[in-house]
Amino acid sequence: MIKTDKPLEEMSKRQVVNHLYDTVKPEEGVIPAYLLGDPKVYEIEHEKVFLKTWVFVGHESEVPNKGDFMTRELAGYSLIITRDGEGEIRAFYNMCTHRGMKLCRADKGNKSMFTCPYHGFNFKNTGELVGVPLQKDIYGGTLDRTTMGLHKVKLESYKGLLFGTWNEDAEPLEDFLGDIRWYLDILVGRAEMEVIGVPQRFVVSSNWKVGSDNFVGDSYHTMVTHGSIAKLGMVPSATYSKRGFQIHTENGHGLNLGTPNPDFAFPEELKAEFKSNLSVEQYGVLSNLKNMIGNVFPNLSFLISHTKIKDQFISNTSVRMWRPIGHNKMEVIAWMLVEKNASQDWKDRSRDSFILTFSPSGIFEQDDTEVFTDITEAAQGPMPFLKNLTYNYTMGLHREPVEFVGPGVAYDDKFTEASQRNFYKYWLELMTK
Amino acid sequence: MNMEEMLVKCQFEQWLYDEAQLLDDIEFDHWFDLMHRSLRYQMPVRINKEGVERPDYSTDMFTFNDDIELLKLRVDRLKTDYAWAEIPPSRTRRFVSNVRVKDYVEGEKAVVKSYLLIYRSRSTDIKHDLISGERNDEFIFEEGNWKLSKRIFIVDQTTINTRNLAIFI
Repeated sequence: MIKTDKPLEEMSKRQVVNHLYDTVKPEEGVIPAYLLGDPKVYEIEHEKVFLKTWVFVGHESEVPNKGDFMTRELAGYSLIITRDGEGEIRAFYNMCTHRGMKLCRADKGNKSMFTCPYHGFNFKNTGELVGVPLQKDIYGGTLDRTTMGLHKVKLESYKGLLFGTWNEDAEPLEDFLGDIRWYLDILVGRAEMEVIGVPQRFVVSSNWKVGSDNFVGDSYHTMVTHGSIAKLGMVPSATYSKRGFQIHTENGHGLNLGTPNPDFAFPEELKAEFKSNLSVEQYGVLSNLKNMIGNVFPNLSFLISHTKIKDQFISNTSVRMWRPIGHNKMEVIAWMLVEKNASQDWKDRSRDSFILTFSPSGIFEQDDTEVFTDITEAAQGPMPFLKNLTYNYTMGLHREPVEFVGPGVAYDDKFTEASQRNFYKYWLELMTK
Repeated sequence: MNMEEMLVKCQFEQWLYDEAQLLDDIEFDHWFDLMHRSLRYQMPVRINKEGVERPDYSTDMFTFNDDIELLKLRVDRLKTDYAWAEIPPSRTRRFVSNVRVKDYVEGEKAVVKSYLLIYRSRSTDIKHDLISGERNDEFIFEEGNWKLSKRIFIVDQTTINTRNLAIFI
């Protein structure tokens, strides 16, 4: 056992990183509790994970028209995401280049110009500075507006999912996503998808990693945490969550795929659209899919849920971000997606099933947040660090992967912790780089 | 306000106070009995918009969008041994104020607006959550009682600062 007399808060960044290297052992299934409770680890995470990787910022369908905009956050910094007059989606740092004031304080809207509330500098939705009050008079014609455009933020889309990064050297989004794309195709590439309404937002006193960990690989908790769902007849049995596959890919991504499903979980009338967007193998997975729960590293979780409500089966598709606010606090932002060409009745029923199951009032969601909060509280302060309390992630270490039609390392039921070990392996790699 | 209007207002204030007591006392079955079978129970997601553009809430995304059947499901769930979100139950205190009767047909229907502040305390937590907003309620008179047929709760926060809505609004 590693012992240290020096609390984390007295260590230099280098020492903390070395300590992580010595104590975090994903491949052996050993994850120390202090990772969820320490402000210093959180600080390093911000720099080495959130400022380096691609982070989800929204969906293209949220800015469907020319002139639409929305504000989002990227690693704690405000972004304006616009669709300009040419239909191109761009992202800018929400900061006036003159004195740094936030240019836009609405969540969304439609306009082609952003005017700074401080001195009235005026920016087009392409980022150009186009107006400066009394410019000629006060700058004597010396102000070079062309160097004062809004700071552009690197933005790329995969099948409508928009990711941004502050890292100029980041690998292309497609490379970063790698094999998880095969599964994202099923999630959001199966048909033209759109966000319904606006995302849900709520604050949970939890470290963000608890959320990612839960979605990347933890189907095991479903039996107990979500035991009420079986009692209410919304799923057939408590062990319902075991059958299927757990899959992980490079860069810490992973998912749990529930199969088989005798009831087609998606709008029947869109089968042709699904087939035209997916490979034969992907369509095979879709048509037999019970549910799909996963996480794109670091903090974008995704979900296709299928339950029985009012004696009718209905699926709902959503993505959610565990946006870190502090070492023990996160904002959960949840977007509900639906096939754009589905019937209004399907859309409404799917939305209402999402609200009932995975919104802040959702009867799955509620119980998760209770667990997330208590786990985070237990990890706080110097004791879990000094006593080197660790979590056990050894489930499935004895198992061999199986062949699967999709890419990645697959296991033939969902009760293993391989995806979580893979998540922490990549996390550690970034943290100690 | 004349005497008749005051009595009507008083009647709905009392209804809302009684409802608050049932919810705070965790008497969910009795609370559920106050609902009309045509119920629509909604809480739209708030949005920050430019200027005074209205409505400043979503018309197609909600935190609650229940009919009587879904609300019953929530009440039933809380009675299973697995409703961890409310084990132990939150201690809530609902403060109802600014009650205004907007429309009233004696023995038939009524539209009532009110403000609501919910104090929520969980377990041993020394922090508390506050949920504030406006209720827009509609009532139908049935078999001698006023039943709630529609509730739209306009919450005051765009990012809700409580871990979940395992409680009723």
